[in-house]
Amino acid sequence: MDLLDKIFVAPFRDMVDLPDILVQTLWEGFVAGILYALIALGFVLIYRSSRIFNFAQGVMVVFASLAMIWFNQKGIPAWIALALALVVMLVMAIAIERIVLRPLIGQPDIILFMATIGITLVLIGIGEWWFGGENQAMITDKLGVPGEQWDLRILGGRVSIRQQDVAAVIVAILLVAGLLVFLNRSQMGRAIRALSDDAQAALSVGISLHQIWVLVWFLAGVIALVTGIAWGARVDITFNLQVIAYKALPVLMLGGLDSISGAIVGGLLIGILEKLFEIYWAQPIMGGGSETWFAFVLALIVLLFRPQGLFGEKIIERV
Amino acid sequence: MLYRIAGQYKTSYTADQALFPVRQDAILLGIILVIAYVVFPLTASEYAFKALLLPVLVYALAALGLNILTGYAGQLSLGTGAFMGVGAYACSKLTTIFPEMNFIVAVLLSGFFSAGIGVVFGIPSLRIKGFYLAIATLAAQFFLVWLFEKWHWLNNYTSSGAIETRNFSMFGYYIAGPLAPTVVKYYLALVVVTLVTWLALNLTRGNLGRIWKATRDMDIAAELIGIRLMWSKLYAFAVSSYIIGVAGALFVFVAGDGAEPNAFDIPLSFTILFIAIIGGLGSVMGNFLGAILIVAIPAMLNDIPPLFNLTLESDVQEYINQILVGAMILFFLIIEPLGLASFWGLIREKLIIWPFPH
Amino acid sequence: MRPITKLIAAAAVTAMAAVPALAEDSIYVPNLSYRTGPFAATGIPLMDGQRDYITMLNERDGGVGGIKIDLEECETGYSTKKGVECYERTKEKATVTQPWSTGITLGVLPKTNTDKIPILAPGYGFSPMANGKVFQWAFNPPASYWDGASMIMQYIAGGKMESLKGKKIALLHLDHPYGKEPIPLFEAMAAKYGFEFLPVPVGLKEMQSQSAQWLQIRRARPDNVIMWGWGAMNSAAIKEAIASGYPMDQFIGVWWSGHDGDLKSEGAAAKGYKSISWSVPVPDAPVMADVKKYVLDKGLSKADPENVNWVFYQRGMVISMILMEAIGEAQKKFGVKNVNAEQVRWGLENLDVTEARLKELGMSGMVPPFKTSCANHTGHSGAWMLEWDGAKFVKVSDLLQADASLIAPLEKTNGDAYAKAHAPWPVNENCKAM
Repeated sequence: MDLLDKIFVAPFRDMVDLPDILVQTLWEGFVAGILYALIALGFVLIYRSSRIFNFAQGVMVVFASLAMIWFNQKGIPAWIALALALVVMLVMAIAIERIVLRPLIGQPDIILFMATIGITLVLIGIGEWWFGGENQAMITDKLGVPGEQWDLRILGGRVSIRQQDVAAVIVAILLVAGLLVFLNRSQMGRAIRALSDDAQAALSVGISLHQIWVLVWFLAGVIALVTGIAWGARVDITFNLQVIAYKALPVLMLGGLDSISGAIVGGLLIGILEKLFEIYWAQPIMGGGSETWFAFVLALIVLLFRPQGLFGEKIIERV
Repeated sequence: MLYRIAGQYKTSYTADQALFPVRQDAILLGIILVIAYVVFPLTASEYAFKALLLPVLVYALAALGLNILTGYAGQLSLGTGAFMGVGAYACSKLTTIFPEMNFIVAVLLSGFFSAGIGVVFGIPSLRIKGFYLAIATLAAQFFLVWLFEKWHWLNNYTSSGAIETRNFSMFGYYIAGPLAPTVVKYYLALVVVTLVTWLALNLTRGNLGRIWKATRDMDIAAELIGIRLMWSKLYAFAVSSYIIGVAGALFVFVAGDGAEPNAFDIPLSFTILFIAIIGGLGSVMGNFLGAILIVAIPAMLNDIPPLFNLTLESDVQEYINQILVGAMILFFLIIEPLGLASFWGLIREKLIIWPFPH
Repeated sequence: MRPITKLIAAAAVTAMAAVPALAEDSIYVPNLSYRTGPFAATGIPLMDGQRDYITMLNERDGGVGGIKIDLEECETGYSTKKGVECYERTKEKATVTQPWSTGITLGVLPKTNTDKIPILAPGYGFSPMANGKVFQWAFNPPASYWDGASMIMQYIAGGKMESLKGKKIALLHLDHPYGKEPIPLFEAMAAKYGFEFLPVPVGLKEMQSQSAQWLQIRRARPDNVIMWGWGAMNSAAIKEAIASGYPMDQFIGVWWSGHDGDLKSEGAAAKGYKSISWSVPVPDAPVMADVKKYVLDKGLSKADPENVNWVFYQRGMVISMILMEAIGEAQKKFGVKNVNAEQVRWGLENLDVTEARLKELGMSGMVPPFKTSCANHTGHSGAWMLEWDGAKFVKVSDLLQADASLIAPLEKTNGDAYAKAHAPWPVNENCKAM
């Protein structure tokens, strides 16, 4: 009985009793969801155009951020360091396309996935060697991101909202909007969509596979840098951060591997539900720690009912 | 000339269906067995056993399990580490609850627990396919590792949550645990691995293997010709998880001396996946080749600089190792995506028609 | 060399700057260190301190007792698997093992009786290792985790343990053997003194996203939060604590959670954060001048010269000092210069670091005096409470001592349980009972 009470009654009572904690939880979940969605976005972009599940997206986030911080530490002003970091990501995109993607054209998906894991290992090795193993603080203040915190005394308690989080949300929204506009309105965007629809047909109308791939990986690098800045506002940048990429996977499962809006909605859903479950169910009953697996189990349950995710294209198989 | 198969006639069905119908293959296998059973124990140092031979055996066994699931039945799974953990914890609990149980019996029994959990987490495969299934197996991976940490009964209420290995003896000699001689542990692992490999070879050659391959290639068509998909997929999960569970028990009790829950985390799953893929999906021998590459090469990378009288800083050594392992994975994927087993197959084909070019 | 090892070497290998190997006649001391991975930030200053102290001794005195010390680092990245591999690789010539991770210590502990190499785990490892009767080959001077837990609680209670009744104490810990190690003692203390103990685990993958844990703390409103963190977890916890408004002077970390590097970026915002520590940086100690002269100025150090007054760097030096003292004692007792593992074990079991000796070494005030014996492998030196004043750590208490009445029986029972679980386990019957 006590357990039933803990599962079905107590959490809701808790939510009503301490509404400020509830709002804080929802906000934290929302921000976390936006950050997951940003990483998922990088995955979606690459998957849509080349059917590669780019496991290296997580390490690209770290690499891009560390590159920017490194330039800044050498005395270069923050915004120029940002631009230089983007140049580094462009070089990386070109290198990956030439060395890894070209020889592996046409290989099954699992091989390409493994190749991205190989890329991850190489990037971690090079990155730790070049940038060192110490924690680096993100230079959000130098980029002009406000670092204060709003403590709202409402609902009988306190809800703290960090301005960096608000900035991260705004930037994420702008990025997604920009991406959607780019994909739907610009010529390059059309080329990307053509390639993801039917690679053969796209090639036959003269769209260059290699150029588009470099572009897509570069865009993923841009997304990675933005993600790094957003995450870096909350924590130091270390190579440990790349495990955040694992969290993007259930987001992709929910949202579908090839849908941008799915990535956003999936990210927000996972972020909010994960926090709610952790605070109101996992901590009282299990002692906490459910964040490692809740998102995955949730996505699994959804997939059992909708195998293509909430927003993915319905999978049609022909025999 | 070396591999001339012309002239080897079979005069009965039994002979035709032998495991190694070509005599040269059988001789090669014999040589490998002799090296494994006789040469290595006599010549290898203790460090070679602990860092090279035992891990290669255990990882190859786990990769064999994964290969059956992913290579033969086509179900991509990233939960291998957690299933190894289930086997290890099951073995630990069995030997705690039944202290008199023979160690080898405990190892073989613990596989069944792993098989059961594998079937449970394999149920989604009936609805979900491809990468989605891979991510679904990650649910098993993360949930089970969390369970290992949290469920104190599993780890016998130790403060660290780690499995502690005691010394197991059989016929008065220590066969597992810190007091057992490394050679004995090596033989134990070798015998178990040989047994399971032989079983797997026959399994995949037979009816079940064909059903799995049909499921992998085109599961809807397989269903149309009368193969029961649910039975096929769940059986694949069961057999695969059994083998992986046994490998996990060996991993903790024989190749190592205890393990904490984090040892079964996702890096282990990825390592086994690498071995299975680089070795060659859909082959049994490939797992051993892949294990030698993935396990032994990084261990030996540390021995190279002293050959050139260079002493590298430890962290630089680590960076170089990581870059080289990543580069090696990329290299092998690029030159032979079908894996080392198919590489060997190519060499064998060339040897058969040698010295003629075609 | 085995033929297998003659592989094609990478071009990068030959392009690396080489460090010439030390001369043959030296004492081999491996260090299972980590300069890569998520815990590198906390590991690097410690290992630098260890290295530099030994380099200083080699340069200034020609080593210890006239023979040089060969400190070789083996990279583990805090991974238990790699740690055990490193142990296996180095154990042939090693005179000591320094695992630098509670997980690796536990992985290596069962082998010590057969391999006969002493484990030196200063301020970490398995607290029952203090029981030298059972753990003949394991040492954790100068204080164990249970000592630390007890001392922190004493500081919170202000000396009057009855005042703890009814309080709520949260333990924010890494969900890893290291973080879980003190829990048995906290539970025992909670039962005895009547406070509520709330363990808040942080998974390895959650180290840098602790918002759920700090929301839990905000809801539970504990009187104190004690942190048992390491690596990337420390800085993330402090950031979250500041953001969620938890009063910093109620936030106390164990000695591995008191790292200048983690607090520097927060600066004044983290003022009031405390950490218990058995090592205190003394910038003008004579030994620091020697290190500067013989190591830093000569460019023989990997450390950043700005960080040599950090808690961790000087603690690394103290740790090397403990090992060198053990070697020195062993040399005197057995009359040989090139001591082996068994002799170093004796040295570790018969340490007597007094105030006078610390003064001789030029390390007065850096560590409390302590003494080990066969029944007491820890030394139980006591520790000081340090507080972050916005720029550095300063001492804010006198020497605190752990409450042996609670710890000693637990050391015995847990040690015996370990021996039973790993039967047959040799016990030193010659040791006077604890």
